[in-house]
This record gives sequence, structure tokens and C-alpha cells, in this order.
Amino acid sequence: MAPQNLSTFCLLLLYLIGAVIAGRDFYKILGVPRSASIKDIKKAYRKLALQLHPDRNPDDPQAQEKFQDLGAAYEVLSDSEKRKQYDTYGEEGLKDGHQSSHGDIFSHFFGDFGFMFGGTPRQQDRNIPRGSDIIVDLEVTLEEVYAGNFVEVVRNKPVARQAPGKRKCNCRQEMRTTQLGPGRFQMTQEVVCDECPNVKLVNEERTLEVEIEPGVRDGMEYPFIGEGEPHVDGEPGDLRFRIKVVKHPIFERRGDDLYTNVTISLVESLVGFEMDITHLDGHKVHISRDKITRPGAKLWKKGEGLPNFDNNNIKGSLIITFDVDFPKEQLTEEVREGIKQLLKQGSVQKVYNGLQGY
Amino acid sequence: MWSAGRGGAARPVLLGLLLALLVPGGGAAKTGAELVTCGSVLKLLNTHHRVRLHSHDIKYGSGSGQQSVTGVEASDDANSYWRIRGGSEGGCPRGSPVRCGQAVRLTHVLTGKNLHTHHFPSPLSNNQEVSAFGEDGQGDDLDLWTVRCSGQHWEREAAVRFQHVGTSVFLSVTGEQYGSPIRGQHEVHGMPSANTHNTWKAMEGIFIKPSVEPSAGHDEL
Repeated sequence: MAPQNLSTFCLLLLYLIGAVIAGRDFYKILGVPRSASIKDIKKAYRKLALQLHPDRNPDDPQAQEKFQDLGAAYEVLSDSEKRKQYDTYGEEGLKDGHQSSHGDIFSHFFGDFGFMFGGTPRQQDRNIPRGSDIIVDLEVTLEEVYAGNFVEVVRNKPVARQAPGKRKCNCRQEMRTTQLGPGRFQMTQEVVCDECPNVKLVNEERTLEVEIEPGVRDGMEYPFIGEGEPHVDGEPGDLRFRIKVVKHPIFERRGDDLYTNVTISLVESLVGFEMDITHLDGHKVHISRDKITRPGAKLWKKGEGLPNFDNNNIKGSLIITFDVDFPKEQLTEEVREGIKQLLKQGSVQKVYNGLQGY
Repeated sequence: MWSAGRGGAARPVLLGLLLALLVPGGGAAKTGAELVTCGSVLKLLNTHHRVRLHSHDIKYGSGSGQQSVTGVEASDDANSYWRIRGGSEGGCPRGSPVRCGQAVRLTHVLTGKNLHTHHFPSPLSNNQEVSAFGEDGQGDDLDLWTVRCSGQHWEREAAVRFQHVGTSVFLSVTGEQYGSPIRGQHEVHGMPSANTHNTWKAMEGIFIKPSVEPSAGHDEL
């Protein structure tokens, strides 16, 4: 008994020592479970990167370190090879060490110039010329609006790089006064340029990650600062992705609510029925009716709509409108008699003005 | 299993051959990141004349009087961006690689008009006029162009041709240049035959990576 206790104790001690030496817990840093999907990991990184960026936390002395940890965690967990290695051997087990600068990872999600906090200094200096902005329409399905998604995009853009020699820049028209004789002057227009270091445009490529956030609305934009067109004398413009939600064959979106239609048979409308509607993420919405369902009847399913963009925990409703499929062929005399017997209804034949709501 | 001795040198060769046969496509494995997909925005470079397909809010002074399409030498003009879309609404979902032989529309990003051609003569060379037509991406049947390339899909590195579905001409540049107000820009027109003047290559752009799910496979030729 004693040796068993001792060995368990030793194992526990070894494990604890191992856990300490093994390095950082990347899953904890990102706040995701070990079974997290790549999408969850990207989403967690993007949210935390905005919160933990040192520019946003000037008073926190550990901000830089926390931000580095976050970058390291994302770099490992977003790569399936590295993640496998990490899961088995811990941080120590990662062979080639994480070399890529955190700036690279951050710019995948937010663009070259990152995210300027504290009042966008870019816009303040109007003297610096800017390249054009590019707006790209991004088609998005309702399934993606419901569950969120990340779209990977390769941006190939011309970048201004130093080149040998000089070039003319800041060319402008100036008025020159020349004296033709005593008391006679002439004003001419002249093009005057400065000399600047030479610049050439080189094509560079990088991957960007565009997040489709759950509940996103048509027309919303996701900017990537500095990823637009370059300007040889100034700064590059921005790249903006504009969300365009495409039509869905089954659901119609109105705000956070979803609308759909179901056709039922005449028998089902009279005696009741049960059915399932498959939702955007595959889960089933169960409908069970034992009362009579008239054509045009609406069923309200709270919480089965789309998540609200500002608070994903609030969901809109799913509104189902029923219509009834009447038999196409004429009923035989026998069936007609049978129906009259079963339903025992007298004739109604009420005439009224249906267009004025009486 | 294998008898030792004779054939010792041949064995690894045979094994290698067997493996090469088993690997599908034999080495031409595409990572998928190099394919042009629907929804991508890009600039097209005419490989022979080194100009990019371009449009702007300037109309032709002759022919149809529609918005003009030209070739420019600059690589940093935002007016050279075109968006690749399927031939019909929903016909090519975001991220579907464009197949060789597929009909696409090229929508000019900044003006919302589609690359278009019709039976009007081009102003400088008397070939077929190529214009930009439509409103907010909605034009008509003369906006369809077939991507002609070798292989299965349009690869970013490949030089491809664009053949008009309605009139069968190829999108071309032969070097004629405009004067004022678009001095130095080249004429872009349609020509009946495939030659060195009508190959184009995807250059700068925002390329949507091919999506993982198989495309809905809508064939709209």
C-alpha cells in the first residue's frame, strides 16, 4: 500500500512539474475548449486581439506580454500540424519555434496598419495624400449569418518600395514673373517639381481573414486599413468588404426574424399533423398541431430566428405561414356524399365586402 | 515476400513507378489557392501589350456612346478592378473556382457596369467596340464571356482568353492609343481570331480562396 501511494504521489509531482515546465496553456489564453474548431479559434483571436492590443491598454505593463502570448497561441492552434504537436508534447514539443512576428498575424485580421485606437490618427493629417479605397461586395448566405464564418482571401497589391535614384514628386503649377524690360513684367505658368527618393511599385501578397459575424446585416462593412491602392507620395487607401446577404430558397429574413412557408394537405389541415423544419445550422424545429389549421395561419416560434448582431444570445423568431393543398381532381359522387355525412355542415353562403374588412 | 537477391536494383524503381501511378494526377496537385474564384476582384493584364483592362466614367464619342473600356499602363489605378461573377444570379457561388469554358460576367467595381460588346465598330481600329454596360451589375445577355484556358480551372498564373458568348469575338488589344482626354490609354476591342493579342493574366486583386464544400455545380453554358 505504501509503495502505491508513494508512486502516485511521485507521478502527481512529476505531472505538476511537467505542467509548469511544459509552457503556456494556449487553449486557456484563447479561452477555447480543447475541442475548439478552427472557426472558434479565429473568432476568439479576433475578439481578444482587439481587447488586448497594447495601444488599447497603455496603463498595463503586461499588455505587450499578454498580446505576444495571444499571438503565439493563435499561431500554434490555427495550424493543424503545430496544434497536433502541441496537444501531444506541449509548448516544449514545438520543433521550429514560432518565428513569425505577431504583427503578421494581427494584420491578417485587420490589415497592414492594424487598428488605430484612440481616434484614428490617420484621418487627422489631411496633408498626406492617400491611395484609393477599394470596396469589395462579399456574398454571404443565411447559414453564415446564423452561425458566423471566416472567409480567407489572398490580397495581391502593389506596394511602394525604395528604388535607386531620384524622381520628381509634388509637381504643381506655379506663377513665375519675368521682367521683360523696365516696368514691364510677364506672368507665366510653370510646372515645378520637388525631388524625392525614387519609388517603384512591387506586387506583394498576403492572406486576410474576413469574419462574418453572426447576425451581420446587409451593407455592413469590414475594413482592412492600408490594404487598398497605394499612393507613391503618401499612404495606401483601405480595403473594405461590404456584406451582401443572398436570397435563400427556404427562409426570408426580416431583421432578426425568419419567415418560411409550409404547404400541408387538406386532411392534415383538418385533423392535425407533426413535422420537422430543418434550420440553417441543421437543427430541427418541431411542429405539432392537433387543431384545425386554416390556410394563412401563422405559427410563431420564438428564439428560432437569427441571432441579434449586438447580442448573439438574443434571437429573433421564426414565423411559419401555412397554406393548404386542395385536391386537384374532382371528387367522386361517393366521396362527396361521404364528406357531407362526416362533416354535417349546413350551407353557409354568406355574401359580404371582403375588401373593406367587414 | 519479395525474394532476395536478383532484381534488387529494379525493386525500388518498380515501387516508385507503382507509387507514381497511385498518386492521382501525378504531381500536378493544386493547393487550390492559385485558382480564380467567383466573387474575386482582380486586374487583368494583356500579356502582349502590358496594359491592364480599365474603365472609367467617360463615354465613347462614337459607336454606341456607352462607357468606354481601355487598357492602361499603370498598376495602381483602382479603376482597373473587375469583379468575376457567374453568368446568372446564384450561378457561381462565392469561392467556386472558375472552370475553363465557363461563362462569366466581369463587373467594373467602381462604376457597376459589366464588360460588354456588340456590333458597333471600335473608334481607332475599326474592330468590334467593347464597352461597359448596365446598372449596378445588371446588364443583359451581351455581358457574358467564356473563359478559354487549358486544363480544368482558371489558374491565377495562366494566360487566358475571353471569348464573347453572343458574338464570338476575343477581348483584345492591338496597340492603338487614344489622344486627349485619355491620352496614352490603349484601345480594347473584340477580334474574331485567337492570337497573341488576346491573352490576359490575373494580376493584383482580392482573391477569395476556393471554398471547402463542393460547389453547387450550376452549369450555365
